[in-house]
Amino acid sequence: MSYGRFLLKRGFQGILVVWGVVSIVFMLRFITPGNAVDAVAPLDASPELRDRIAEELGLNQPLYVQYLDYLWDLLHGDMGFSYISGIEASQMVFTKLPATVELAVASSLVAITLSIPLGVISATRRHQPADYAATTFSLVGISTPNFWLGIMLVLLLSVEFGLFPTSGRAFGFIESFRIMASQGLSPGINALWQWLRHIFLPAVTLGTYFTALITRLTRSGMLEELGQSYVQAARAKGLPETLIRYKHALRNTLIPVITVLGLQLGTLIGGAVITEAVFSWPGLGTTLINAINIRDWPILQATLIVIGTGFVVVNLVVDAVYAYLDPQVVAE
Amino acid sequence: MISPRTIRNLRKELRSSLLAKVGIVLVLAMIMVAAFAPFIALHDPTEQDLDENNLPPLGFSRATEETTSEMQNGSLVIKNETVLVNASASHPLGTNSLGQDVYSRAVYGARTSMMVGVLGTLLAAILGVSVGLVAGFYRGRVDDGLMRFADVSLAFPSLVLAIALIGLWGRAAVDIPDPFVVLGVVEPVRSALGLPTGMPDSFVLPGTVIVVVGLVNWVWFARIARGEALSIREEEYVKAARALGASDVRIIGRHVLPNATTPILVLATIQVAAIILLESSLSFLGFSGTTLSWGFDISQGRAYLSTSWWIATVPGLAIVFAVIGVNLVGDWLRDALDPGIEGEGGV
Repeated sequence: MSYGRFLLKRGFQGILVVWGVVSIVFMLRFITPGNAVDAVAPLDASPELRDRIAEELGLNQPLYVQYLDYLWDLLHGDMGFSYISGIEASQMVFTKLPATVELAVASSLVAITLSIPLGVISATRRHQPADYAATTFSLVGISTPNFWLGIMLVLLLSVEFGLFPTSGRAFGFIESFRIMASQGLSPGINALWQWLRHIFLPAVTLGTYFTALITRLTRSGMLEELGQSYVQAARAKGLPETLIRYKHALRNTLIPVITVLGLQLGTLIGGAVITEAVFSWPGLGTTLINAINIRDWPILQATLIVIGTGFVVVNLVVDAVYAYLDPQVVAE
Repeated sequence: MISPRTIRNLRKELRSSLLAKVGIVLVLAMIMVAAFAPFIALHDPTEQDLDENNLPPLGFSRATEETTSEMQNGSLVIKNETVLVNASASHPLGTNSLGQDVYSRAVYGARTSMMVGVLGTLLAAILGVSVGLVAGFYRGRVDDGLMRFADVSLAFPSLVLAIALIGLWGRAAVDIPDPFVVLGVVEPVRSALGLPTGMPDSFVLPGTVIVVVGLVNWVWFARIARGEALSIREEEYVKAARALGASDVRIIGRHVLPNATTPILVLATIQVAAIILLESSLSFLGFSGTTLSWGFDISQGRAYLSTSWWIATVPGLAIVFAVIGVNLVGDWLRDALDPGIEGEGGV
């Protein structure tokens, strides 16, 4: 199979999965007790008013008509309107999306830049103090609930030392550059600084689990690779140790690490939801929790669809990168 | 299922690994605390005492502003004084904002975590292993269909799906009687030890949480079981059983499942840790059926962070120790049994 055909096949599978995601989200309402009309109608609504609301929302149609309508509207980017605020659900979700993406990207950056060197050091200095420190850190890191870590960071760094704001987002990343373009360099840099100050604790909170996880994976992968015969052959050939470690062993280690990261993407998104709750970060997570608590179906559905689709898309990218690095995958 | 060789490997690994020993001690300690909570707790974890709220742990004190007013020479004098609230020996880890004993709540919280962790994993394993074995054994269309379904459910992060399902289905909980209290053994032991009596006679099992946690985590088991079934079905003994006319159900039950237990067991251990974290996240966000949970206590303590740090700190440490213990046991099993799975299954 060629690389192009591989991508095409995975893309088609991805579309099927997105369709499944949409269908499950649609079905959710019908396996939930309670009537959607109740969420919208006033408590003392007359039967006529309730009928009118049901009609307006299309709830009196047969199920398959509602389903096809739903798919048709989705294809046109129409996810309905919030039952509570009347805002378009798609607009609501896409204004919240950047905050969550920023958080996820920032914490992934924290995780990748810290964990891979840590894992390599740990593996190359096995049974030395640096290795013990790194393995202890990664054990504690994967065992600590991130919301509690966030609260402890707030307690120490915000409440005790006042280094970081306890919650909120202030400016968006892109917004800061827009300010820079329109109002000049200094307000722009100030906005960017505020953005950095606000995202620091949430990013560390969310990133710690992944730093710990990737450190573990990198360490065990490196140890395995360094024991392989090709490493011995390279040493016998007289290649410098750094070249063996970083060019050969690390490269082969990172391939399985990428797969696990793709699988753990759900953990990242789930972690973002709870991190947002801890830091009142105005992203998809806080939107989701609000929508569930007030039974705002269109917003709830839109949030779930965007999260599910985001997962599928990022996994496609991971697969594509993976297949590029390891051509065996394409052949299978 | 568990061969003598397996047991030898487990022993050998345990002897050489300090971390495995630490893990076993932590897990056993947690099981004991959860099981014998009515004997280990100092107070009824739900008992409120508003005169003794926000008491600091032993060795700490809490500064608070106290306003007093008194009549002096015919005019009212209002004084603001900083008073130190001292720890009380009967509340060694302090009390929360309702005057409940932080230590006793942490002890009872272990029950919730253990119950949800073990029962949730069991449910996820039963669902996932059944689906995975069937998919891997039959391959073809069945496999494609089931695995696409697994892909779809993987697209929803466990926590997100769990919040949605619990939020929408409600938070049903089951009261189960505490066997020790019902048998009447708690009161005499506690009085003999000089501890306050009157422990809760039932325990809240967050039913919806257990079901939902099982429903959102089955995929990991399905993936592992499928992989095992795919390779085991090609083994000679499976072919022999088939040639002898054994039914599919018998082959799966008697040959495929027993030979797939090792990786499933290792995954189950990792999943208990993941589910304890998931449960604490859910109760932190208020999506739980019980108020006796580490996550719930952390959310309560959050409001008092600047004055009473211990309320959120103690239950968090409990989670960390419990999860470290389970993870270390998982590492031990993985290193000893080497089932070839690597760090799958997160929150």
